[in-house]
Amino acid sequence: MMKLKDIKKTFKTGSQSIEVLKGINLDIREGETIALLGRSGSGKSTLLSILGGLDNPDFGEVWFNDLCLNQLRDQELVKFRSKNIGIIFQQFHLVSTLTAIENVLLPLSLAKNTNAFEIATKLISDVGLTDRSAHLPSQLSGGESQRVAIARALAVNPKLLLADEPSGNLDEETGEKVMDLLFGMVKQLKTTLVLVTHDKEIARRCDRIINLEHGSIK
Amino acid sequence: MIFKLFVLKEFKKSSYFFLGLGFLLVLGLSGLLSISFLTENIQNNLRSNARQLLTSDLAITARRDFFPEERKLITDFFKTKEHKTYQVVDIYSMVTNVTTSESRLVEIRCYEDHFPFYGQITSKGSLLNQNDFLISKELVNLWEVQTGDWLKIGDSQFKVSGIIDSDSSIGIRGFSLAPRIYLPLVKIIQSGLLRPGSTGQFSIHFKLNESEEELVKIRQELLKLLPDPAIKVMTSKESSNQAGRVFDYITDFMSLSALVGFLLALVGIFYFYQSYLLTRLKDFSLFYLHGLNKSQILFGIFLQFSSLFFFSLFIFFLIFNPFYFYLRDWLSTIIGFALPPGLNYRNFLINIPMLYALSLSILLPLLKGLLRTPLGLQLKLSKQALGYFHPLDFLPFVALLWIVAWQLSHSLKIGSLFLFSLLIIFFLSLILIKSFQKMAIYVRPSRTLCFINLNIGLSLRNFIQSGHKLNLSFIALVLGISLISLIFQLNFLIKKEFTLTDNKPSLFLFDIQEDQLSDLKKLGREKGLELSGVTPLVRGRIEKLNGFKFSRTEEKWDNSNREEEIEARTKNRGINLTYRQSLSPSEKIIAGTPFPETVPEGQNFSYLSIEERFAKRMGIKLGDKIIFDIGGVEIEGIVRNLREVKWTSFYPNFFVNLQPGFIDDAPKTYLAVLDRSFSHKKIDFQKASVNKFPNISFIDMEQLIQKLSELFEKSRRAVELISWLSLFIGFVILFGLCQDQIFRRTYDMALLKSLGFGYFSVLSQIMIEFGFVFFMATGLGIFLGWFLGAIIGLEVFKINLAFDFSHYVVLFLFLIFLCLATIFLVSWKTIAKNPRELLSDN
Ligand SMILES: Nc1ncnc2c1ncn2[C@@H]1O[C@H](COP(=O)(O)OP(=O)(O)OP(=O)(O)O)[C@@H](O)[C@H]1O
Ligand SMILES: [Mg+2]
Repeated sequence: MMKLKDIKKTFKTGSQSIEVLKGINLDIREGETIALLGRSGSGKSTLLSILGGLDNPDFGEVWFNDLCLNQLRDQELVKFRSKNIGIIFQQFHLVSTLTAIENVLLPLSLAKNTNAFEIATKLISDVGLTDRSAHLPSQLSGGESQRVAIARALAVNPKLLLADEPSGNLDEETGEKVMDLLFGMVKQLKTTLVLVTHDKEIARRCDRIINLEHGSIK
Repeated sequence: MIFKLFVLKEFKKSSYFFLGLGFLLVLGLSGLLSISFLTENIQNNLRSNARQLLTSDLAITARRDFFPEERKLITDFFKTKEHKTYQVVDIYSMVTNVTTSESRLVEIRCYEDHFPFYGQITSKGSLLNQNDFLISKELVNLWEVQTGDWLKIGDSQFKVSGIIDSDSSIGIRGFSLAPRIYLPLVKIIQSGLLRPGSTGQFSIHFKLNESEEELVKIRQELLKLLPDPAIKVMTSKESSNQAGRVFDYITDFMSLSALVGFLLALVGIFYFYQSYLLTRLKDFSLFYLHGLNKSQILFGIFLQFSSLFFFSLFIFFLIFNPFYFYLRDWLSTIIGFALPPGLNYRNFLINIPMLYALSLSILLPLLKGLLRTPLGLQLKLSKQALGYFHPLDFLPFVALLWIVAWQLSHSLKIGSLFLFSLLIIFFLSLILIKSFQKMAIYVRPSRTLCFINLNIGLSLRNFIQSGHKLNLSFIALVLGISLISLIFQLNFLIKKEFTLTDNKPSLFLFDIQEDQLSDLKKLGREKGLELSGVTPLVRGRIEKLNGFKFSRTEEKWDNSNREEEIEARTKNRGINLTYRQSLSPSEKIIAGTPFPETVPEGQNFSYLSIEERFAKRMGIKLGDKIIFDIGGVEIEGIVRNLREVKWTSFYPNFFVNLQPGFIDDAPKTYLAVLDRSFSHKKIDFQKASVNKFPNISFIDMEQLIQKLSELFEKSRRAVELISWLSLFIGFVILFGLCQDQIFRRTYDMALLKSLGFGYFSVLSQIMIEFGFVFFMATGLGIFLGWFLGAIIGLEVFKINLAFDFSHYVVLFLFLIFLCLATIFLVSWKTIAKNPRELLSDN
């Protein structure tokens, strides 16, 4: 479903430049779950951003089915992203002025879904937060916030879900629960998943494990 | 250690923040301090020139000639003291150019030998001589008269012996009714112009070899010796205060405008400091965990702010000095008074502790909020609010503000009104924004994010959640805009009032003798015009009020209370009365009932109609019994009604009106006006009547109003200067506020973009939300400013409500545009950034 061809990415800070990705080739098949492992600073988040169209590579091509993401204009990319890609961040990013359910409603509204409210309500109940649905992010705990983020990422039923260490900021037990929820939902919705993690246990629950080392896949 | 941690390190770390804050402080301080500085130097200058203004050490003055007994008392009093003396009489009279027979009202200063003891009046560089007839440049400009030309005053002709090039006795005269000329007193008496009973200002001047303290004592003794309140005794101190009075009101008003500017700066400082403390909370928590206790942290912040304050002050001094020297000439022309080159900083030093305390007190709620915040926990919760503010924490600030406003305006009443208006603006804006937030919650649909469309729906939700941060910026905006609108409205009202309209007279006539009245009217009719507003003027004095004797109140000059000053002044003055049955078109009864149609047989008192503000000052109420002394005859009156008078109509009006039939036989002169419809015939008429009745004085109202509006224009410009400063402060704050708000939104905006919102969606959400807030702030601010302006206009100037609609629309649109441009300027770059960059830095 998704293809990366010889992706290169360099960051320049002042006079220094770091080559983070040194020619990545990757094939992602529809419905599979991939774990992305690697040391801190190895470029996992960078790769994920390129997959999600949040960032452009310096070199190489990103294909989604027969659509080349590099050639899309900004506006088209935004549209593509809102339809096809869900993202979960390490720091459970929620829109601070919206309640839990409103955060889930957000992508649905953007997609002009007519059943938005019903879908959001169901998702909120699926992640077990029905009694918290009217709370603001500042009133939610870390685990609760991440569950809302999962619900929001899955709301539009994206083809590809990108998750950057979703349990990284949570304690072990809560983290495990969040991961259970994530895998459960992904299985149920048959979503393709790319999951960045440090945890080998969690990685093992995925269909495929990719190791990122010194900017290349090993 | 604390100093290093909180001052040096923090200034270095957040240098932009502190630079901005310091800039704001410098701006806020500069208005207030500059004004206090100018006032002080003007006063100093007056004080050092006071003797020259008075021309002597001590003067006894009255608005009438002294009685022989009084003259004897005075002569006897000074017998034992070494002294020199002369008399000065100031009278108003028409002067006619013999060659062109044009005429004009002048102030004649009749002088005697030795005048002046201090200071000098020069013509072509040489001092005033015994027999000189000097005229002012104004007259020269008007008529092109030269030395050697002949001028006619009364029935006599005088040869001009010189033109005044400097006159140290004039000092600051923001405005003079007529140009001044100098004539020897003997000549005036010889010419018969000054007869017994003539009106004028009579002064006897003394040069004494006494110390200041002794002069004060002598003054007190003289006041006791001459109990008539109509007589004043002036030393140089009184004369300088009198001369400075012109400035007091302007500087008071300017000080308050500058205080608003400073206040805006403080609101900004409060807001930004709060924002800063919030971001530094983590570090403070770290300090806390590493052994600093809370009071040390508070002390650190106190040190930090104090350093900033005094550093800003230092910067202000650095800038102000060269600035002042550069702009001195320009400022001098604006205020119409030469500013001294030497600087005096006493007032500065007095004001600084007050302003420092006021600035500290606005931080008090923040510090107490910090005290209530559980530090340490902050390490985990990065987005926790800073404690909470207790409304009572603001009390010290409000109290201090009250005192400062009172001090600056020299009036408890104005100071309190100022505070009151501010509180009203504060609460009204708070109520408005809160109720809009409530309303927004109410209209917010629960099952969808859309409200009209998704962007507006999201703006609505942002608006609901923006909380007290928004309230604060909203209030600051409304305050700033109200001030702009207020000054706008006052300008408009004053301009409108001092433009010539048909219902203002074109000539004002006074000193018409009773026996001249019918001839004058006839002359007018021959010239094809009709005099109007013919009103008798009788001089009198209030003898008793409800049985209590009215005595002289000592004028206070400690510069602390303007109301008391006015009261003392009014009480000492003899008053002009008139009698008329009905009201003039510029009068309106506001309490009581009109005079009865007829006076019943045997009624031995007259009903009185008193001008409302005069009544308030004198403590006169409806039904009060007043006994007047009119030419030595006691007349009893009972207050029947209180009147409001529109003085700016320039029609003959009086503080006290009696019923006809009681003082008709008292010695009196008449006033009259020539309506503007006869404007084209006025010169002809004036020539003819000055020729025939040389004692009648004419004031060209068109010229006078022109002069007045120029004077107002000058003070208006000075006030405007200050309001531009406040406006600028307002926009510096607006800019900072927008930047801060956008900074806080960065994260949400990036998130929205990562979720698939485009650049224009996010931008339009921001613009809609802020646009709405700006729209309301501008609307409310303009309305409140207009309202306050209208009230001031109504109360102070008696000007009716007016609304300059098209100008307000322009102002409104301009302000909204400015606000939106600002928010666009600070947000577009942030929104355009790649969301990944924004989301990755924590
Ligand atoms: N915007 C940027 N500018 C400069 N350098 C960057 C930028 N973003 C990332 N880097 C650098 O690129 C390298 C890879 O960063 P990336 O965030 O992809 O690592 P990561 O594998 O996700 O690490 P972690 O496991 O700690 O999250 C790092 O060395 C980082 O410092
Ligand atoms: Mg990472």
